[in-house]
Amino acid sequence: MILIGEDLNVMSNAISKAIKEHNAEPIRACVEGQAGNGMDYLDLNVGPQKKDPAQTMEWLVNTVQEFTDLPLCLDTTNTVAMEAGLKLCKKKGLVNSASGVRESMETVMPLSKKYSAALVLSVINDAGLPSDADERAGSILESLEYANELGIANEDIWIDPVLMPVGVDQRQILSYMEFIQMIPDLAPGAKSVCGLSNLSYSAPKELRGLLNRTFMVIIARYGQDAAIVSGFDEELVRLNKGEMPEIVNLIHRAMDEEDMDISALSGKEQEYVKTTQVLMGKTLYSNSWLEV
Amino acid sequence: MTYEAPLEKHPVNIREVVLGEGEKAQKIGGENTFPFHSFEGSLPNPPGLALEVLDMQPENWATWALDPFKDVSSDPVEWARKGVEEYGAEILCLRLLSTDPMGMDAAPEEAAKTVRKIVDSLNIPLIVLGTGTEDKDSKVLIEVARACSGKNLLLGPVLKGNYQEIAKAALEHGHAIVAQASMDANLTKELNIALCKFFPPEKIVVDPTSSALGYGMEYTFSIIESIKQFGLVDKDKMMQMPVFADIGIECWRTKEARESAEQGILWEATTGMTFLLAGANLVVFRHPEALRLIKSMISY
Repeated sequence: MILIGEDLNVMSNAISKAIKEHNAEPIRACVEGQAGNGMDYLDLNVGPQKKDPAQTMEWLVNTVQEFTDLPLCLDTTNTVAMEAGLKLCKKKGLVNSASGVRESMETVMPLSKKYSAALVLSVINDAGLPSDADERAGSILESLEYANELGIANEDIWIDPVLMPVGVDQRQILSYMEFIQMIPDLAPGAKSVCGLSNLSYSAPKELRGLLNRTFMVIIARYGQDAAIVSGFDEELVRLNKGEMPEIVNLIHRAMDEEDMDISALSGKEQEYVKTTQVLMGKTLYSNSWLEV
Repeated sequence: MTYEAPLEKHPVNIREVVLGEGEKAQKIGGENTFPFHSFEGSLPNPPGLALEVLDMQPENWATWALDPFKDVSSDPVEWARKGVEEYGAEILCLRLLSTDPMGMDAAPEEAAKTVRKIVDSLNIPLIVLGTGTEDKDSKVLIEVARACSGKNLLLGPVLKGNYQEIAKAALEHGHAIVAQASMDANLTKELNIALCKFFPPEKIVVDPTSSALGYGMEYTFSIIESIKQFGLVDKDKMMQMPVFADIGIECWRTKEARESAEQGILWEATTGMTFLLAGANLVVFRHPEALRLIKSMISY
């Protein structure tokens, strides 16, 4: 799976401060840390960036590119900032993101075309977030058609089915899994991508990584191509590289509801199995899911 | 060829919880099927129907809400007695409104004395509710637990922020508890998991909190229904507790209930019947006529 590191984010106080003060050192640490951990792309999340959007994005893109050769994923709802960043990307960038919302189709999609950048396209549309896999399919087909007509090929589109937190609605997780398996038929050549960390939003902080990693292994099996992830999670990278085959195998067996003696497993293995059962909708989620 | 309707059988039960002690003790829960599905499984105990009593003179109640008790509303013991003797209540729910820190802020010892008096004079199952203020409720309910040791009261609401103290006192003095998590099955489960580390699951009733007809009743319906489904269909042990619905207070604050007596009573009865259909095992009514209507609807 292609991993996009999410840690260059204005939601972080340190990063937000560094961007405001044009202080490159914290940016360098964040870039080199994520690159060193094995990220394939870096997400640059500047939020809506109401003040000096162009200058801010320009400084950030230039600064990041001083410290890494990785391609960039520009994450802003401000089209001025987006365009300023795209102009400076040395490698083919990724626009994060457009959706089926009319305004987004009309303002964001053309930027992807103009700068030959790839495009994250979410299933959200004017009616909001689709509630099941079929509605997601209906929404994405409409926005894909619009994008194709603009001249953006499926090969440049990364579909974001929108991953909701497990603590909000477990059924949404199941319909997410159903939908990513439909993508190759709906949009041959397109990729799938998601904001993986959103899955564990509102879960206890120390357990978020476990939920995210387990889900990455699950959706990888269903054909997920890419995910925006916590760039410093070393275990996540090892799982993704195939360096922990026994854990991956265990998650697959739990997905298949194979009978297993949980008590015979190590503590860590038990955690992965219990988490898989929750994410597959076999057990009701609670923040203390590991304690039962 | 004869047609046989398919039946859904569940190999597990909602836990049976005993309220009160002695001859008049009542059991709730214990079913292995959905509400009123007696054709599919066993429903050993009818739903518990409780009548609400306040420990102080009510303020700002609609006249018709207070009418049935207006001669006794300043004396909680007599109010309780009238509820039982005249209106046939078999379970009472005493709300310790006097302890509200934003109101009279009565001392825990005072409130506990009132509870003890009611227990001594009536000896029927008693639910005792605080005001939902975590700090104060824990002081009040701990005092009540002590004062009525061995009486198997149902104490609540027990919340995320005070479950440890209250449940510990309930355990020590032999009471059951109402575990409350607002409108969220995940949080209901989380609180049950935390409680069951030291508290017996067969002494827990869950309260997903109630909304009245026209004010979000559908949400309460869905959450009660899903709690029961997680318990019976998914066999989730942490979701097999009977469900509590405290509806009188919600129904009688609506504009509609305050417009006329008939409308108020129907508002409460409709909300109550709806939650029984969703799977509630214990419902608290404010108006004796609403309680009577429900009793006549579900007696079989």
